Amino acid sequence: MRALIAAATGLAVALALVITISAIGSPPGETSPKPLLTTVPKHP
Amino acid sequence: MRRKASLILLALAVFCTAMSPLMRWYAFPRLAKIPAGQYQNAVLEAKNPTLLDYGSMQSKKVPKVTVVQTLKGNVEASEQVEKSAGRDVVVWDSLSYIVGPDGKMVSQVPERYVFDAHSQAPVHPTGKYAETVDGDKVRRDGIEFKWPFLTEKRDYEYYDAQARVTRPIHYKGTRTFRGLKVYYFEQTIPWMKVPLPKTMPVKGITPESVAKTGTTRWYTTVRKFWVEPVTGAPVYGEEIQHNELRGGTLLGGRDKVTVFAGHVKMREDYIRSTVDLVKSNRVLVVLLTSTLPWGFLILGLLLLALSLWLEARSRRPGEPEAAPEHEPQPVSA
Repeated sequence: MRALIAAATGLAVALALVITISAIGSPPGETSPKPLLTTVPKHP
Repeated sequence: MRRKASLILLALAVFCTAMSPLMRWYAFPRLAKIPAGQYQNAVLEAKNPTLLDYGSMQSKKVPKVTVVQTLKGNVEASEQVEKSAGRDVVVWDSLSYIVGPDGKMVSQVPERYVFDAHSQAPVHPTGKYAETVDGDKVRRDGIEFKWPFLTEKRDYEYYDAQARVTRPIHYKGTRTFRGLKVYYFEQTIPWMKVPLPKTMPVKGITPESVAKTGTTRWYTTVRKFWVEPVTGAPVYGEEIQHNELRGGTLLGGRDKVTVFAGHVKMREDYIRSTVDLVKSNRVLVVLLTSTLPWGFLILGLLLLALSLWLEARSRRPGEPEAAPEHEPQPVSA
């Protein structure tokens, strides 16, 4: 019984962690202030 | 004590073993996405191409034509489209700006490309944020600029902005490019009648004025991409393109005139910078799809083995720590 509880705890923590990280995701950021280029840049 | 340790190890073993598939098949598809605010540019050059001089309407060889391509993620537009689409969306405003040997503009084609941030599947918003090419609303039924994460060895549907059609781009094999394993793709667009660009290089000449003469523009291209399969990012691209004006009164009795004919290749410094960028992005994707899932699985199995070993030792008779949890019962004869 104690083994089952230990295994269930491990599984629950893994599920909670992955679901939380996936739900948080990454921030969208901002639109770059740089323009669409109309001259040939000298370097990247 | 050993019993408690084996239970803790068992919980950790299950945690790690569960993290392996969860990371690969739950977290990765949700976490791997194109950032909405990405900004990127590339420079491509055609050496010794044929270019039409609109002043004299004569085609001639020129030393070089340069294509400056900019992709700019429009975060505000993507947030608006996401509200109706109900999924993560990227809106790229792009500009292909073509510069002649004298540094003057030859042509420019602005585009708006809207796609799913995870799968790169095209999204078709309407109204203000509709996808466009050169100001005209279009519908893309394939990818453009980038392949999906974990690109497969198969043909994809690819959108051609000049012809405004979606056609297959064929997988032609696996190659090594600058130390990276890449998939090589090739697409041929046969001769097609295409719209004239809205911005022409000579003042006074407009698509409408050309159309009145009965002259039409025709185009064919062979498009080549070397795609890094983990990120789906092209690390190199080439295009062998031909543009012609055909028929009508504008050509002075000639059947056709070449507008542009050349082999466009990515400039060397941009190849290096793209390869470096893809190499660094690749590390993150590999971490989520391979390193972490396999690492967790191996660690989970090791912890499970350790837990079982401790448990077995705790039950071995004659060891002080392995004392039974309950008092031994007398056996009746």
